[in-house]
Amino acid sequence: MIGLRDSVAGRLVLGVISLLVLVFLGLPIVLILVTSFGSDALGSFPPESWTLTWYQQLFADGSKWPAALALSATVAALTTVFSVVLGMMAAIALVRSDLPLRSAVYGLVLAPLVIPQVVVALGLFLLFEPAAMLGSPIAIALGHTVLATPIAVMILMATLKGIDERLEDAAASMGAGRLTIARRITFPLAAPGVIAAAIFSFITSFDEFFISQFLSSVDTITLPVQVFNVLQFDVDPSVTAVAALLIAVALVALGLVALLRRFGTGKQGGLLPVETGVPAGGEPK
Amino acid sequence: MAVLAPPPEPVVAAAATGGWRRRLSGRRTRFGLLNATPVVVYLLVLFVYPIFSTLLLSLKDEDGGFTLHWYADALSGTSLDILLITLRISAETSAISLVVGFLLAYWITRLRPIWAGLVMLVVVVPHFISALVRTYGWIILLGDHGLVNETLVALHVPGAPFQLLYNELGVVIGTTSVMLPYTVLLLYAVMRGVDRGLIAAAASMGAGRLVTFFRVYLPLVAPGLVNAGILSFILCLGYYLTPALMGGPKQTMVASLIDEQVMKNNQWNGASALGVILLLLTFAGLLSLRLVKSVSEAAKNRGGA
Repeated sequence: MIGLRDSVAGRLVLGVISLLVLVFLGLPIVLILVTSFGSDALGSFPPESWTLTWYQQLFADGSKWPAALALSATVAALTTVFSVVLGMMAAIALVRSDLPLRSAVYGLVLAPLVIPQVVVALGLFLLFEPAAMLGSPIAIALGHTVLATPIAVMILMATLKGIDERLEDAAASMGAGRLTIARRITFPLAAPGVIAAAIFSFITSFDEFFISQFLSSVDTITLPVQVFNVLQFDVDPSVTAVAALLIAVALVALGLVALLRRFGTGKQGGLLPVETGVPAGGEPK
Repeated sequence: MAVLAPPPEPVVAAAATGGWRRRLSGRRTRFGLLNATPVVVYLLVLFVYPIFSTLLLSLKDEDGGFTLHWYADALSGTSLDILLITLRISAETSAISLVVGFLLAYWITRLRPIWAGLVMLVVVVPHFISALVRTYGWIILLGDHGLVNETLVALHVPGAPFQLLYNELGVVIGTTSVMLPYTVLLLYAVMRGVDRGLIAAAASMGAGRLVTFFRVYLPLVAPGLVNAGILSFILCLGYYLTPALMGGPKQTMVASLIDEQVMKNNQWNGASALGVILLLLTFAGLLSLRLVKSVSEAAKNRGGA
């Protein structure tokens, strides 16, 4: 920046502080990945020797992890379907139509991001408890959809805004019917955004803790709730391997989104929810 | 004239109602309503209604009559202490995130684009990794024999090893690491929007480094700073994971208390009152955000910086 002619010393100090902050952000993640392969899964860094024991233990007989993983995957898949369908319709209504009370609808859709999750979780608990639905994967997925839909809507709105409507008009002028236009023009253009929305919905649900905690029962426990329970009450060194797996899932998901951006068609702004300018988040997952 | 200018009022009224009817019957409008209905119904049933029932429950006594005593309970004794602790930890966390986030975001704006992209990756990737997992990483790092203490001991820092876990320091470290990426993203977006011409202009007219920074740059990014600070404060208020895992009994936050009331004590009314208090604090934060926004826009419109 031209005007802020920082001195060399000032620049150096800023640089060193910033690098330390980056280490602060990255270190816990790197540490988990490395120690999950170390012989002493709860301690010394770098590990003295390497092993795959903790990963093997995850799938040993009597391990409670496979069931938790299966439940989390099921719930995340359901959430993805719900929130992409709801999100796509909402995005179409918000971007492509003359919607009365548009800003009220938009505000309602984004509200779950700023309302404390404990309040949402408590409300859902009060809703599902009398219905005897605690512990039902469907109930947990319905709860997660409340959090995943705003993210899907933001991504899909950005996607739809990035599609040139003149392409559809051109197709119409050349005699294409509405279904043909949707199938041949709109959907292929929107596909990368839809996939990104699906990926982020999946991750949101897969990592979600609080709603799962409130809606789980003794025999339906999602992966994050299981990790939390182990950290708070038990000692199970294989939890490090689970944590590493959760990191790997998130990295694969982000990698896929990055690939979509690279190969996606031209203007694909805002595949990451953080890029759309609306504060992403709510309680971080 | 009489024909060209008919009595104004009936026409306006007719146009208004006709307008409404026309708007609601327009094809694009019907299309919008059709597509918006599912999400609106969904959120009304699974988001608005549950929160509303929380509110009702917090105002009901054992016999179903109206009472405020759950709020009196929530605002006295241990519960009040927990509320104050929550406010304090949230304030500390958002203040540290803001200062550290400001430095990092400012540094990134001055990097070459390729480096800025790489550094932003280091900021964004943790944002999408489960906070639970990152918290676990910190628990390993900050333990008595964790990497941080081992390093401090090896460097012969007096007093090491320190107690870094199960106290307020641990909670603030953990929560800050969770909130920081979010703060940096918000601040970076604001800083990138700063018109560099203004800064060059200040410098060209002889303003020194500090004057340029405090009189030109800081006022330009101030609304963004307030925005990021309030948002991270709001997010901290209801935060559960990290304080529950990295704090001791003295760092219990409201979310943990709500969890305990529901899961252990079966005390739904009390938990609801706490939830509503949390909600009101959040609304207060959002409202002040609105206020700051309108004030800064008014300042901009007056042409004052």
